[in-house]
Amino acid sequence: MIYKGIKIENTFAEAFNMKASRIIVTADNAKWAKHACDSFTGFATSVIACGVEAGIETELKRSETPDNRPGYSILVFSMSRSQLEKQLETRVGQCILTCPTTAVFSGMSGEDMIPLGKNLRYFGDGYQISKKILNKRFWRVPVMDGEFLCEESTARVPAIGGGNFLVLSKNRESCLKACEIAVNEIKNHPNIITPFPGGVVRSGSKVGSKYKALIASTNDAFCPTLKSITKSDLPKSVSCVMEIVINGLTSDDISAAICKSIKAISQSKIKKDIIAISAGNYGGKLGQHHFHLRKIMK
Amino acid sequence: MKPLTLKLKQKITYRIDMSFLSDAYKYKSIKHFMSKKIIYGNQEFKVSQLFSVTGNQLNNIVIKSAIPLMDNIGCKQQGISMNVYGNIGYSFGKQMVSGSLVLHGNALDYAASGMKGGKIFIYGNAGDYFGAKPNAGNEGILDGFIYVKGNVGNDSFQRVRRGNIIIDGNIGNDACREMISGSILIKGSIGNSFGIDIKRGSIFIKDRKLTRDYTQSNDAEYNFIKFYLTQLKSIIKKKIFLEKKKLKRYYGNKDKNNLSEIFLFTA
Repeated sequence: MIYKGIKIENTFAEAFNMKASRIIVTADNAKWAKHACDSFTGFATSVIACGVEAGIETELKRSETPDNRPGYSILVFSMSRSQLEKQLETRVGQCILTCPTTAVFSGMSGEDMIPLGKNLRYFGDGYQISKKILNKRFWRVPVMDGEFLCEESTARVPAIGGGNFLVLSKNRESCLKACEIAVNEIKNHPNIITPFPGGVVRSGSKVGSKYKALIASTNDAFCPTLKSITKSDLPKSVSCVMEIVINGLTSDDISAAICKSIKAISQSKIKKDIIAISAGNYGGKLGQHHFHLRKIMK
Repeated sequence: MKPLTLKLKQKITYRIDMSFLSDAYKYKSIKHFMSKKIIYGNQEFKVSQLFSVTGNQLNNIVIKSAIPLMDNIGCKQQGISMNVYGNIGYSFGKQMVSGSLVLHGNALDYAASGMKGGKIFIYGNAGDYFGAKPNAGNEGILDGFIYVKGNVGNDSFQRVRRGNIIIDGNIGNDACREMISGSILIKGSIGNSFGIDIKRGSIFIKDRKLTRDYTQSNDAEYNFIKFYLTQLKSIIKKKIFLEKKKLKRYYGNKDKNNLSEIFLFTA
Protein backbone atom coordinates (compact mmCIF):
# COMPACT_ATOMS: atom_id res chain seq x y z
CA MET A 1 0.00 0.00 0.00
CA ILE A 2 1.30 3.46 -0.88
CA TYR A 3 -0.11 6.25 1.29
CA LYS A 4 0.54 9.67 -0.22
CA GLY A 5 3.87 8.51 -1.57
CA ILE A 6 4.96 6.48 1.45
CA LYS A 7 4.99 2.72 1.41
CA ILE A 8 3.00 1.17 4.25
CA GLU A 9 4.18 -2.36 4.96
CA ASN A 10 1.59 -5.10 5.34
CA THR A 11 2.26 -5.66 9.01
CA PHE A 12 0.94 -4.82 12.44
CA ALA A 13 2.03 -3.43 15.77
CA GLU A 14 1.56 -5.72 18.71
CA ALA A 15 0.47 -4.13 21.99
CA PHE A 16 -0.34 -5.29 25.48
CA ASN A 17 -2.99 -4.89 28.14
CA MET A 18 -1.83 -2.50 30.81
CA LYS A 19 -3.28 -0.44 33.63
CA ALA A 20 -3.09 3.33 33.56
CA SER A 21 -3.74 6.33 35.70
CA ARG A 22 -3.85 10.03 35.00
CA ILE A 23 -2.64 12.71 37.38
CA ILE A 24 -2.71 16.47 37.08
CA VAL A 25 0.25 18.47 38.29
CA THR A 26 -0.11 22.20 38.80
CA ALA A 27 2.21 24.94 40.02
CA ASP A 28 2.36 28.70 40.34
CA ASN A 29 3.55 28.85 36.75
CA ALA A 30 3.91 26.45 33.84
CA LYS A 31 7.70 26.40 34.19
CA TRP A 32 7.62 24.78 37.63
CA ALA A 33 4.82 22.45 36.73
CA LYS A 34 6.95 21.30 33.78
CA HIS A 35 9.99 20.82 36.02
CA ALA A 36 7.96 18.53 38.26
CA CYS A 37 6.48 16.61 35.34
CA ASP A 38 9.84 16.17 33.60
CA SER A 39 11.24 14.80 36.80
CA PHE A 40 8.26 12.53 37.38
CA THR A 41 8.34 11.09 33.86
CA GLY A 42 12.10 10.72 33.78
CA PHE A 43 13.30 7.11 33.73
CA ALA A 44 9.82 5.89 32.83
CA THR A 45 10.36 4.70 29.29
CA SER A 46 9.71 0.99 29.52
CA VAL A 47 8.24 -1.35 32.10
CA ILE A 48 11.15 -3.70 31.37
CA ALA A 49 13.36 -1.84 33.81
CA CYS A 50 11.58 1.32 34.91
CA GLY A 51 8.52 -0.15 36.57
CA VAL A 52 6.16 2.15 34.72
CA GLU A 53 5.89 3.97 31.42
CA ALA A 54 4.93 7.59 31.87
CA GLY A 55 4.73 10.75 29.87
CA ILE A 56 3.15 14.16 29.70
CA GLU A 57 -0.21 13.85 28.01
CA THR A 58 -0.99 17.48 27.52
CA GLU A 59 -0.46 20.97 28.83
CA LEU A 60 -3.42 22.37 30.71
CA LYS A 61 -4.66 25.93 30.88
CA ARG A 62 -5.59 27.54 34.19
CA SER A 63 -9.26 26.97 33.44
CA GLU A 64 -8.69 23.25 32.96
CA THR A 65 -7.03 22.48 36.29
CA PRO A 66 -8.73 21.95 39.67
CA ASP A 67 -6.93 24.85 41.37
CA ASN A 68 -6.96 27.25 38.43
CA ARG A 69 -3.21 27.23 38.04
CA PRO A 70 -1.23 26.17 34.99
CA GLY A 71 -0.40 22.50 34.85
CA TYR A 72 0.13 19.30 32.92
CA SER A 73 -1.61 15.97 32.85
CA ILE A 74 0.52 12.87 33.06
CA LEU A 75 -0.41 9.33 32.07
CA VAL A 76 1.27 6.46 33.92
CA PHE A 77 1.13 2.90 32.59
CA SER A 78 2.05 -0.31 34.31
CA MET A 79 1.61 -4.04 33.93
CA SER A 80 0.46 -4.57 37.52
CA ARG A 81 -1.52 -2.72 40.15
CA SER A 82 1.15 -3.05 42.82
CA GLN A 83 3.82 -1.63 40.56
CA LEU A 84 1.58 1.26 39.53
CA GLU A 85 0.80 2.07 43.15
CA LYS A 86 4.42 1.85 44.22
CA GLN A 87 5.80 3.91 41.36
CA LEU A 88 3.09 6.54 41.64
CA GLU A 89 3.78 7.03 45.31
CA THR A 90 7.54 7.06 44.90
CA ARG A 91 7.54 9.42 41.97
CA VAL A 92 4.99 11.84 43.44
CA GLY A 93 6.94 11.81 46.69
CA GLN A 94 10.33 12.41 45.16
CA CYS A 95 9.51 14.53 42.12
CA ILE A 96 6.34 16.50 42.79
CA LEU A 97 6.24 16.93 46.56
CA THR A 98 9.80 18.21 46.38
CA CYS A 99 9.19 20.68 43.57
CA PRO A 100 8.30 24.24 44.70
CA THR A 101 4.68 25.43 44.51
CA THR A 102 3.29 22.23 43.03
CA ALA A 103 0.06 20.38 43.77
CA VAL A 104 -1.17 17.06 42.45
CA PHE A 105 -4.69 15.89 41.66
CA SER A 106 -6.35 12.87 40.20
CA GLY A 107 -7.03 13.26 36.50
CA MET A 108 -9.65 10.58 36.09
CA SER A 109 -12.55 9.06 37.95
CA GLY A 110 -13.53 5.44 38.30
CA GLU A 111 -14.37 2.73 40.76
CA ASP A 112 -10.93 1.22 41.01
CA MET A 113 -8.97 3.68 43.13
CA ILE A 114 -5.28 3.65 44.01
CA PRO A 115 -3.43 5.83 46.50
CA LEU A 116 -1.98 9.12 45.33
CA GLY A 117 -1.33 11.25 48.40
CA LYS A 118 -2.76 8.76 50.87
CA ASN A 119 0.58 7.68 52.28
CA LEU A 120 2.56 10.78 51.36
CA ARG A 121 0.57 12.69 53.94
CA TYR A 122 2.67 11.15 56.68
CA PHE A 123 5.48 13.41 55.53
CA GLY A 124 3.50 16.06 57.41
CA ASP A 125 4.49 14.38 60.69
CA GLY A 126 1.08 14.84 62.23
CA TYR A 127 0.62 18.42 61.02
CA GLN A 128 -1.03 17.35 57.79
CA ILE A 129 -4.62 18.50 57.37
CA SER A 130 -7.32 16.58 55.58
CA LYS A 131 -10.14 18.22 53.67
CA LYS A 132 -12.96 16.17 52.29
CA ILE A 133 -15.02 17.91 49.67
CA LEU A 134 -18.05 15.82 48.76
CA ASN A 135 -16.58 12.45 47.89
CA LYS A 136 -12.98 13.47 47.38
CA ARG A 137 -10.38 13.77 50.09
CA PHE A 138 -7.41 16.09 49.83
CA TRP A 139 -4.34 16.41 52.01
CA ARG A 140 -2.53 19.58 52.91
CA VAL A 141 1.00 18.70 53.86
CA PRO A 142 3.05 21.52 55.43
CA VAL A 143 6.27 22.14 53.50
CA MET A 144 8.82 24.93 53.53
CA ASP A 145 7.14 27.03 50.82
CA GLY A 146 3.68 26.71 52.37
CA GLU A 147 1.62 23.63 51.72
CA PHE A 148 1.71 20.70 49.35
CA LEU A 149 -1.83 19.95 48.27
CA CYS A 150 -2.57 16.47 46.99
CA GLU A 151 -5.62 14.39 46.33
CA GLU A 152 -5.81 11.22 48.36
CA SER A 153 -6.36 8.78 45.52
CA THR A 154 -6.69 8.49 41.79
CA ALA A 155 -8.45 6.05 39.52
CA ARG A 156 -6.88 3.16 37.67
CA VAL A 157 -8.29 2.13 34.30
CA PRO A 158 -7.53 -0.57 31.72
CA ALA A 159 -5.19 0.67 28.99
CA ILE A 160 -2.92 -0.46 26.17
CA GLY A 161 0.82 -0.15 25.96
CA GLY A 162 3.23 -0.79 23.11
CA GLY A 163 1.40 0.53 20.08
CA ASN A 164 4.12 1.46 17.60
CA PHE A 165 5.33 2.08 14.10
CA LEU A 166 8.76 2.10 12.52
CA VAL A 167 10.12 4.73 10.19
CA LEU A 168 12.47 3.23 7.61
CA SER A 169 14.63 5.87 6.03
CA LYS A 170 17.52 6.42 3.63
CA ASN A 171 19.56 8.21 6.29
CA ARG A 172 19.60 9.04 9.99
CA GLU A 173 18.97 12.75 9.61
CA SER A 174 15.75 12.35 7.66
CA CYS A 175 14.62 9.47 9.85
CA LEU A 176 14.96 11.58 12.99
CA LYS A 177 13.32 14.55 11.31
CA ALA A 178 10.34 12.43 10.24
CA CYS A 179 9.98 11.07 13.77
CA GLU A 180 10.11 14.55 15.23
CA ILE A 181 7.33 15.64 12.89
CA ALA A 182 5.25 12.62 13.90
CA VAL A 183 5.77 13.10 17.62
CA ASN A 184 5.07 16.80 17.39
CA GLU A 185 1.80 16.05 15.63
CA ILE A 186 0.51 13.91 18.52
CA LYS A 187 2.12 15.91 21.31
CA ASN A 188 -1.15 17.11 22.82
CA HIS A 189 -3.32 14.27 21.57
CA PRO A 190 -5.62 13.24 24.44
CA ASN A 191 -5.34 9.83 26.10
CA ILE A 192 -1.94 8.90 24.66
CA ILE A 193 1.71 9.30 25.52
CA THR A 194 4.98 8.54 23.79
CA PRO A 195 7.06 7.42 26.78
CA PHE A 196 10.53 7.33 25.20
CA PRO A 197 12.97 10.27 25.11
CA GLY A 198 11.52 12.78 22.68
CA GLY A 199 8.96 10.13 21.82
CA VAL A 200 11.43 8.20 19.65
CA VAL A 201 13.18 4.84 20.17
CA ARG A 202 16.29 3.76 18.33
CA SER A 203 16.78 0.50 20.20
CA GLY A 204 13.78 -1.53 19.17
CA SER A 205 13.88 -4.91 20.87
CA LYS A 206 12.93 -8.49 20.28
CA VAL A 207 11.97 -10.98 22.96
CA GLY A 208 14.87 -13.04 24.33
CA SER A 209 18.58 -13.09 23.73
CA LYS A 210 21.42 -15.50 23.23
CA TYR A 211 22.40 -14.46 26.76
CA LYS A 212 20.15 -16.26 29.22
CA ALA A 213 19.97 -13.41 31.70
CA LEU A 214 18.37 -11.02 29.20
CA ILE A 215 14.64 -11.00 28.48
CA ALA A 216 15.00 -8.64 25.53
CA SER A 217 17.72 -7.81 23.07
CA THR A 218 18.28 -5.75 19.93
CA ASN A 219 15.82 -6.22 17.12
CA ASP A 220 18.42 -7.50 14.64
CA ALA A 221 15.89 -7.85 11.83
CA PHE A 222 15.63 -4.04 11.75
CA CYS A 223 19.28 -3.16 12.41
CA PRO A 224 20.75 -1.74 9.20
CA THR A 225 24.29 -2.69 10.22
CA LEU A 226 23.32 -6.36 10.50
CA LYS A 227 21.59 -6.56 7.12
CA SER A 228 24.26 -8.76 5.62
CA ILE A 229 24.60 -11.26 8.45
CA THR A 230 21.06 -11.71 9.84
CA LYS A 231 17.65 -12.45 8.42
CA SER A 232 16.91 -8.80 7.81
CA ASP A 233 13.49 -7.30 7.16
CA LEU A 234 15.01 -4.17 5.68
CA PRO A 235 15.14 -3.18 2.02
CA LYS A 236 18.62 -2.46 0.67
CA SER A 237 18.18 1.30 0.58
CA VAL A 238 17.33 1.59 4.27
CA SER A 239 20.14 2.77 6.44
CA CYS A 240 18.26 3.98 9.51
CA VAL A 241 15.18 2.82 11.44
CA MET A 242 13.50 4.54 14.34
CA GLU A 243 10.41 3.58 16.28
CA ILE A 244 7.64 5.60 17.84
CA VAL A 245 6.00 3.81 20.74
CA ILE A 246 2.51 4.93 21.71
CA ASN A 247 0.64 3.99 24.88
CA GLY A 248 -3.01 4.87 25.09
CA LEU A 249 -6.14 4.41 27.11
CA THR A 250 -8.02 2.69 24.27
CA SER A 251 -7.14 1.06 20.96
CA ASP A 252 -9.01 3.83 19.14
CA ASP A 253 -6.75 6.43 20.73
CA ILE A 254 -3.64 4.56 19.60
CA SER A 255 -4.98 3.95 16.09
CA ALA A 256 -5.87 7.63 15.76
CA ALA A 257 -2.40 8.66 16.95
CA ILE A 258 -0.64 6.29 14.54
CA CYS A 259 -2.78 7.56 11.68
CA LYS A 260 -2.17 11.20 12.56
CA SER A 261 1.58 10.65 12.83
CA ILE A 262 1.96 8.89 9.50
CA LYS A 263 -0.24 11.49 7.84
CA ALA A 264 2.01 14.24 9.21
CA ILE A 265 5.12 12.52 7.79
CA SER A 266 3.42 12.05 4.43
CA GLN A 267 2.60 15.77 4.28
CA SER A 268 6.16 16.86 5.01
CA LYS A 269 9.01 17.40 2.58
CA ILE A 270 11.03 14.73 4.32
CA LYS A 271 8.86 11.97 2.89
CA LYS A 272 11.12 11.69 -0.15
CA ASP A 273 13.72 10.05 2.06
CA ILE A 274 11.31 7.69 3.78
CA ILE A 275 11.43 4.20 2.26
CA ALA A 276 8.57 2.69 4.23
CA ILE A 277 6.56 2.64 7.44
CA SER A 278 6.56 -0.67 9.26
CA ALA A 279 5.64 -1.88 12.75
CA GLY A 280 7.09 -4.01 15.51
CA ASN A 281 5.48 -7.25 16.59
CA TYR A 282 6.32 -10.59 18.14
CA GLY A 283 4.50 -12.75 15.65
CA GLY A 284 1.14 -11.84 17.11
CA LYS A 285 1.32 -14.37 19.92
CA LEU A 286 2.26 -12.19 22.87
CA GLY A 287 0.17 -9.04 22.65
CA GLN A 288 -3.59 -8.87 22.99
CA HIS A 289 -3.92 -5.91 20.61
CA HIS A 290 -2.87 -5.76 16.95
CA PHE A 291 -2.71 -2.49 15.08
CA HIS A 292 -2.66 -3.27 11.36
CA LEU A 293 -1.03 -0.33 9.63
CA ARG A 294 -2.86 -0.69 6.33
CA LYS A 295 -6.22 -0.93 8.08
CA ILE A 296 -5.45 2.20 10.05
CA MET A 297 -4.30 4.17 7.01
CA LYS A 298 -7.23 3.16 4.79
CA MET B 1 -41.59 12.14 34.94
CA LYS B 2 -42.60 14.90 37.34
CA PRO B 3 -41.35 15.46 40.88
CA LEU B 4 -43.52 14.03 43.61
CA THR B 5 -45.24 17.08 45.04
CA LEU B 6 -46.94 17.07 48.44
CA LYS B 7 -49.26 19.67 49.90
CA LEU B 8 -51.26 19.48 53.11
CA LYS B 9 -54.95 18.97 52.44
CA GLN B 10 -56.08 20.81 55.56
CA LYS B 11 -54.77 22.77 58.53
CA ILE B 12 -53.16 20.55 61.15
CA THR B 13 -52.84 21.08 64.88
CA TYR B 14 -50.43 18.33 65.95
CA ARG B 15 -46.81 17.79 64.99
CA ILE B 16 -46.24 15.44 62.10
CA ASP B 17 -43.23 13.19 61.51
CA MET B 18 -42.22 13.62 57.87
CA SER B 19 -39.44 11.03 57.90
CA PHE B 20 -41.63 8.70 55.85
CA LEU B 21 -40.48 10.67 52.81
CA SER B 22 -36.86 9.67 53.30
CA ASP B 23 -37.41 6.18 51.95
CA ALA B 24 -40.04 7.11 49.35
CA TYR B 25 -37.81 5.78 46.57
CA LYS B 26 -38.20 2.28 47.98
CA TYR B 27 -41.86 2.13 47.06
CA LYS B 28 -42.75 0.27 43.90
CA SER B 29 -45.32 2.80 42.76
CA ILE B 30 -47.08 6.00 43.70
CA LYS B 31 -50.07 3.89 44.72
CA HIS B 32 -47.99 2.05 47.30
CA PHE B 33 -46.58 5.31 48.56
CA MET B 34 -49.98 6.95 48.86
CA SER B 35 -51.31 4.07 50.93
CA LYS B 36 -48.40 4.21 53.41
CA LYS B 37 -49.68 4.77 56.92
CA ILE B 38 -48.30 7.59 59.04
CA ILE B 39 -49.09 8.63 62.56
CA TYR B 40 -50.81 11.93 63.15
CA GLY B 41 -52.00 12.79 66.63
CA ASN B 42 -52.91 9.44 68.13
CA GLN B 43 -54.24 7.89 64.95
CA GLU B 44 -52.89 6.33 61.76
CA PHE B 45 -53.64 7.94 58.43
CA LYS B 46 -52.76 7.12 54.87
CA VAL B 47 -50.45 9.63 53.14
CA SER B 48 -53.24 10.37 50.70
CA GLN B 49 -55.59 11.31 53.54
CA LEU B 50 -53.32 14.09 54.79
CA PHE B 51 -51.58 15.25 51.63
CA SER B 52 -52.60 15.94 48.09
CA VAL B 53 -49.93 14.26 46.00
CA THR B 54 -49.06 14.90 42.37
CA GLY B 55 -46.15 13.77 40.19
CA ASN B 56 -44.48 10.38 40.01
CA GLN B 57 -40.74 10.78 40.66
CA LEU B 58 -40.19 9.04 43.96
CA ASN B 59 -36.60 10.24 44.32
CA ASN B 60 -37.37 13.86 43.56
CA ILE B 61 -39.75 15.36 46.10
CA VAL B 62 -41.26 18.81 46.52
CA ILE B 63 -43.11 19.91 49.67
CA LYS B 64 -45.25 22.96 49.12
CA SER B 65 -46.56 25.27 51.83
CA ALA B 66 -44.62 23.54 54.59
CA ILE B 67 -45.41 24.53 58.19
CA PRO B 68 -43.37 24.53 61.43
CA LEU B 69 -45.28 21.50 62.66
CA MET B 70 -43.50 19.31 60.13
CA ASP B 71 -40.55 17.58 61.79
CA ASN B 72 -37.84 15.23 60.53
CA ILE B 73 -38.01 16.26 56.88
CA GLY B 74 -35.12 14.47 55.14
CA CYS B 75 -34.22 12.59 58.31
CA LYS B 76 -31.80 9.75 57.45
CA GLN B 77 -32.57 10.25 53.76
CA GLN B 78 -30.53 8.54 51.08
CA GLY B 79 -30.24 9.42 47.41
CA ILE B 80 -33.28 11.69 47.33
CA SER B 81 -33.44 15.23 46.14
CA MET B 82 -35.99 17.27 48.11
CA ASN B 83 -37.17 20.87 47.78
CA VAL B 84 -39.18 22.36 50.61
CA TYR B 85 -41.07 25.65 50.47
CA GLY B 86 -42.09 27.32 53.73
CA ASN B 87 -40.94 27.33 57.35
CA ILE B 88 -40.48 23.91 58.85
CA GLY B 89 -40.09 22.15 62.21
CA TYR B 90 -37.32 20.30 64.01
CA SER B 91 -34.57 17.97 62.80
CA PHE B 92 -34.46 18.93 59.13
CA GLY B 93 -31.95 16.61 57.42
CA LYS B 94 -31.04 14.95 60.71
CA GLN B 95 -28.53 12.11 60.13
CA MET B 96 -29.00 12.50 56.40
CA VAL B 97 -26.82 10.09 54.42
CA SER B 98 -26.85 11.32 50.81
CA GLY B 99 -28.81 13.31 48.25
CA SER B 100 -29.77 16.95 48.55
CA LEU B 101 -32.18 18.99 50.64
CA VAL B 102 -33.15 22.51 49.71
CA LEU B 103 -35.23 24.61 52.09
CA HIS B 104 -36.78 27.89 50.99
CA GLY B 105 -37.70 29.04 54.47
CA ASN B 106 -36.60 28.76 58.10
CA ALA B 107 -35.84 25.61 60.07
CA LEU B 108 -36.27 25.00 63.80
CA ASP B 109 -33.69 23.31 66.05
CA TYR B 110 -31.53 20.26 65.37
CA ALA B 111 -31.43 20.76 61.60
CA ALA B 112 -28.55 18.80 60.00
CA SER B 113 -27.68 17.26 63.36
CA GLY B 114 -25.51 14.17 62.94
CA MET B 115 -25.52 14.62 59.16
CA LYS B 116 -23.50 11.88 57.45
CA GLY B 117 -23.35 13.08 53.85
CA GLY B 118 -25.17 14.83 51.04
CA LYS B 119 -25.95 18.51 50.64
CA ILE B 120 -28.23 20.85 52.55
CA PHE B 121 -29.14 24.33 51.34
CA ILE B 122 -31.19 26.57 53.61
CA TYR B 123 -32.31 29.85 52.11
CA GLY B 124 -33.48 31.20 55.46
CA ASN B 125 -32.48 30.88 59.12
CA ALA B 126 -31.76 27.79 61.17
CA GLY B 127 -32.45 27.24 64.86
CA ASP B 128 -30.32 26.01 67.75
CA TYR B 129 -28.19 22.84 67.71
CA PHE B 130 -27.74 23.20 63.98
CA GLY B 131 -25.32 20.54 62.71
CA ALA B 132 -24.71 19.51 66.30
CA LYS B 133 -24.75 16.04 67.77
CA PRO B 134 -28.24 14.58 67.73
CA ASN B 135 -29.88 13.53 70.99
CA ALA B 136 -28.99 9.93 70.38
CA GLY B 137 -25.45 10.52 69.14
CA ASN B 138 -22.07 11.71 70.23
CA GLU B 139 -20.86 13.49 67.12
CA GLY B 140 -22.13 16.37 65.04
CA ILE B 141 -21.83 16.50 61.28
CA LEU B 142 -19.81 13.54 60.04
CA ASP B 143 -19.64 14.58 56.40
CA GLY B 144 -21.46 16.55 53.73
CA PHE B 145 -22.01 20.10 52.61
CA ILE B 146 -24.21 22.81 54.14
CA TYR B 147 -25.10 26.28 52.96
CA VAL B 148 -27.21 28.66 55.08
CA LYS B 149 -28.19 32.00 53.70
CA GLY B 150 -29.48 33.39 56.99
CA ASN B 151 -28.51 33.11 60.64
CA VAL B 152 -27.83 30.06 62.73
CA GLY B 153 -28.84 29.62 66.40
CA ASN B 154 -26.98 28.71 69.58
CA ASP B 155 -25.03 25.53 70.35
CA SER B 156 -24.51 24.80 66.67
CA PHE B 157 -21.83 22.55 65.17
CA GLN B 158 -20.95 20.83 68.42
CA ARG B 159 -18.50 17.98 67.91
CA VAL B 160 -18.43 18.38 64.14
CA ARG B 161 -16.12 15.78 62.65
CA ARG B 162 -16.08 16.54 58.95
CA GLY B 163 -17.94 18.53 56.32
CA ASN B 164 -17.94 21.90 54.62
CA ILE B 165 -20.26 24.58 55.90
CA ILE B 166 -20.96 28.06 54.56
CA ILE B 167 -23.03 30.52 56.58
CA ASP B 168 -23.86 33.83 54.98
CA GLY B 169 -25.42 35.19 58.19
CA ASN B 170 -24.49 35.25 61.88
CA ILE B 171 -24.00 32.38 64.28
CA GLY B 172 -25.21 32.19 67.91
CA ASN B 173 -23.50 31.45 71.23
CA ASP B 174 -21.50 28.31 72.10
CA ALA B 175 -20.98 27.31 68.49
CA CYS B 176 -18.32 24.78 67.40
CA ARG B 177 -17.82 23.49 70.94
CA GLU B 178 -15.47 20.47 70.95
CA MET B 179 -15.23 20.64 67.18
CA ILE B 180 -13.16 17.68 65.95
CA SER B 181 -12.55 18.73 62.35
CA GLY B 182 -14.27 20.12 59.27
CA SER B 183 -14.45 23.56 57.70
CA ILE B 184 -16.81 26.43 58.50
CA LEU B 185 -17.02 29.71 56.61
CA ILE B 186 -18.95 32.40 58.48
CA LYS B 187 -19.69 35.69 56.81
CA GLY B 188 -21.46 37.37 59.71
CA SER B 189 -20.62 37.72 63.39
CA ILE B 190 -20.17 35.01 65.99
CA GLY B 191 -21.73 34.74 69.44
CA ASN B 192 -20.01 34.20 72.77
CA SER B 193 -17.94 31.14 73.71
CA PHE B 194 -17.17 30.18 70.16
CA GLY B 195 -14.98 27.11 69.62
CA ILE B 196 -14.49 26.05 73.25
CA ASP B 197 -12.27 22.94 73.42
CA ILE B 198 -11.88 22.87 69.66
CA LYS B 199 -9.43 20.21 68.46
CA ARG B 200 -8.97 20.61 64.74
CA GLY B 201 -10.74 22.14 61.77
CA SER B 202 -10.64 25.27 59.67
CA ILE B 203 -12.71 28.33 60.47
CA PHE B 204 -13.03 31.29 58.13
CA ILE B 205 -14.19 34.26 60.09
CA LYS B 206 -13.99 38.06 60.37
CA ASP B 207 -14.17 38.31 64.19
CA ARG B 208 -10.70 39.00 65.55
CA LYS B 209 -11.59 38.12 69.15
CA LEU B 210 -11.42 34.44 68.30
CA THR B 211 -7.73 34.65 67.46
CA ARG B 212 -6.64 35.43 71.04
CA ASP B 213 -5.43 31.91 71.77
CA TYR B 214 -3.87 31.45 68.37
CA THR B 215 -0.57 32.45 66.85
CA GLN B 216 -0.42 34.03 63.45
CA SER B 217 1.39 31.93 60.90
CA ASN B 218 3.10 33.50 57.94
CA ASP B 219 1.27 35.25 55.16
CA ALA B 220 2.27 32.63 52.62
CA GLU B 221 -0.30 32.36 49.89
CA TYR B 222 -1.83 28.94 50.16
CA ASN B 223 -2.94 27.60 46.84
CA PHE B 224 -5.29 25.43 48.87
CA ILE B 225 -7.55 28.39 49.62
CA LYS B 226 -8.05 29.21 45.95
CA PHE B 227 -8.68 25.60 45.18
CA TYR B 228 -11.04 25.16 48.10
CA LEU B 229 -13.12 28.19 47.22
CA THR B 230 -13.34 27.06 43.61
CA GLN B 231 -14.62 23.68 44.72
CA LEU B 232 -17.21 25.23 47.03
CA LYS B 233 -18.27 27.66 44.34
CA SER B 234 -18.96 24.76 42.01
CA ILE B 235 -21.25 23.25 44.64
CA ILE B 236 -23.33 26.31 45.53
CA LYS B 237 -23.15 27.65 41.99
CA LYS B 238 -22.71 31.23 43.09
CA LYS B 239 -19.95 33.48 44.38
CA ILE B 240 -18.48 32.79 47.79
CA PHE B 241 -18.20 35.83 50.05
CA LEU B 242 -14.50 35.13 50.64
CA GLU B 243 -13.49 35.56 47.03
CA LYS B 244 -10.91 38.29 46.51
CA LYS B 245 -10.64 38.80 50.30
CA LYS B 246 -7.22 38.80 51.92
CA LEU B 247 -6.87 36.11 54.54
CA LYS B 248 -4.58 35.86 57.54
CA ARG B 249 -3.97 32.45 58.96
CA TYR B 250 -3.83 31.71 62.69
CA TYR B 251 -2.85 28.36 64.01
CA GLY B 252 -3.76 26.72 67.33
CA ASN B 253 -1.47 25.64 70.08
CA LYS B 254 -0.36 22.00 70.09
CA ASP B 255 0.25 22.00 73.83
CA LYS B 256 -3.35 22.98 74.40
CA ASN B 257 -4.41 20.12 72.15
CA ASN B 258 -5.72 22.63 69.64
CA LEU B 259 -4.59 22.10 66.06
CA SER B 260 -7.38 24.12 64.50
CA GLU B 261 -6.73 27.00 62.14
CA ILE B 262 -8.47 30.29 61.67
CA PHE B 263 -8.49 32.23 58.45
CA LEU B 264 -9.27 35.79 59.35
CA PHE B 265 -10.67 38.05 56.68
CA THR B 266 -11.44 41.73 56.79
CA ALA B 267 -15.05 42.67 56.32
